[in-house]
Amino acid sequence: MDIVVRDVTMRFRRAGEEAASLKEAVIRRIRRRDRYETFTALDHVSFTVGEGEVAGIIGANGSGKSTLLKIIAGALRPTQGRVEADRDKIQLLTLGTGFDPELTGKENIYLSGALTGLSKEFLDEKYEAIVQFAGLEGFMEEKVRKYSSGMVSRLGFALATAADAPEILILDEVLSVGDLFFRKKSEKRIREMIHGGSTVLMVSHSMAVIRQNCTKAIWLEKGKLRMAGAPDRVCASYEGMRDGGTG
Amino acid sequence: MTAGEKRKQYGFVIRQLTAREMKRKYARSALGIFWSILNPLLSMTVLSLIFSRMFQKSIANFPVYYLTGYLLWQTFTGATSASLTALTDNRLLLLRVKFPMEIFVTARVYTAIVNFFCSLAAYVVMLIVFQIKIRLPALMAPVILLPLFLFSLGLSWILSVGYVFFGDLKHLYTVALTLWMYCSGIFYPAEELGGLIRQVVFHNPMYLYIDGMRQVILYGQIPAAGQFAQMFLWGIGLFAAGWVVFEKNRDRIMVRL
Repeated sequence: MDIVVRDVTMRFRRAGEEAASLKEAVIRRIRRRDRYETFTALDHVSFTVGEGEVAGIIGANGSGKSTLLKIIAGALRPTQGRVEADRDKIQLLTLGTGFDPELTGKENIYLSGALTGLSKEFLDEKYEAIVQFAGLEGFMEEKVRKYSSGMVSRLGFALATAADAPEILILDEVLSVGDLFFRKKSEKRIREMIHGGSTVLMVSHSMAVIRQNCTKAIWLEKGKLRMAGAPDRVCASYEGMRDGGTG
Repeated sequence: MTAGEKRKQYGFVIRQLTAREMKRKYARSALGIFWSILNPLLSMTVLSLIFSRMFQKSIANFPVYYLTGYLLWQTFTGATSASLTALTDNRLLLLRVKFPMEIFVTARVYTAIVNFFCSLAAYVVMLIVFQIKIRLPALMAPVILLPLFLFSLGLSWILSVGYVFFGDLKHLYTVALTLWMYCSGIFYPAEELGGLIRQVVFHNPMYLYIDGMRQVILYGQIPAAGQFAQMFLWGIGLFAAGWVVFEKNRDRIMVRL
């Protein structure tokens, strides 16, 4: 399963420009000033990630990385261009999606699991394994409100990675959570997922992570594709520019 | 995933979201879910203290008369008011999950419906206390509830989309609900109204549902065919309108959020 991004452009109305209330909308309609400025988050971006490739997206904050991931995952529709990828086979891996602090750990596994597309049967079957991996035996009837932040992210990680690796995996900065011991366990799990034959797209600020895991790097700058290719080369240029003081 | 599996998963998500809403609602109260039963009873007691004597001649068994209207009205307002903010409350989640976002709104409507069925316990007790004879037409109750639920769901979808674009809608709707409540004949005999307001009340869908329910449960009558037709037209009409509104705005909502 490969991902083809073709000439994708995404424009948003600038924050604060859109009518936020009925009154404002009416006034604008009357004054015939319903025009607005746009902000281009992605500007004619094209690239391909082939089957089994592990692609890392790099770039400064605000360069359009998150918008791009949302478009590929199908949450946003681009203003122009298109993405060719089978939506049913994409999984966006995020930690603690939909966790509710007022519910117990167990209730959260089912709530968050349901939201991320896991079936009841699957959760029933994997429940023990998830709790064990998170190292939270004996805490599942406690409200998540009472957990430490490390416990929350361990539970989130265990749940997010419980499913078999999908054909297309999208990772948004989830590579390191918890204490040192858990970090080793989680990195191992992630590596298994990444190198299990899936097509992977990940965002990271750590060049070390990109160099270690990726077969391809994609550098976004202010919504434009600046460079794509071998991770070593792209990371080196990115670091060169960043350390040169322009980024 | 096949269509069947998807539907099953959506059902699972709705049940989980509903469980969350119920647990959250009563998370810090000792009586918990019993409030669903206690609330209508307390409200009934208060209104009966004030109005029972006033409407003695025109309304027999005022407390149950009121309770019938109150339960339906509460289900409707509970569903629509909670749904209004359903999309904005779940903003972050919407960008991450893959199922259609109307599920979040539907879950809140479903929560109100579950609440309604819990409150029915109070209703049954009151029917017994007031020795209301339940006759065969009572079997028609589900036929009145169905269009009421569709009506609430359709309006909820429309409101939730509207609120994404107009924050003022929340305040406007609160005012509208007050007006709407007085036009729904919940605690007074609507038959005694005259003129224009009578026309408004008698064509108000909420009054149609409430009046229909009183007829089948309290009076053992079957509402006229015309009334049933109106109930279903409103129910199906709003349901379809809500669906269209959602379909037309799907992309704009995501961008706006």
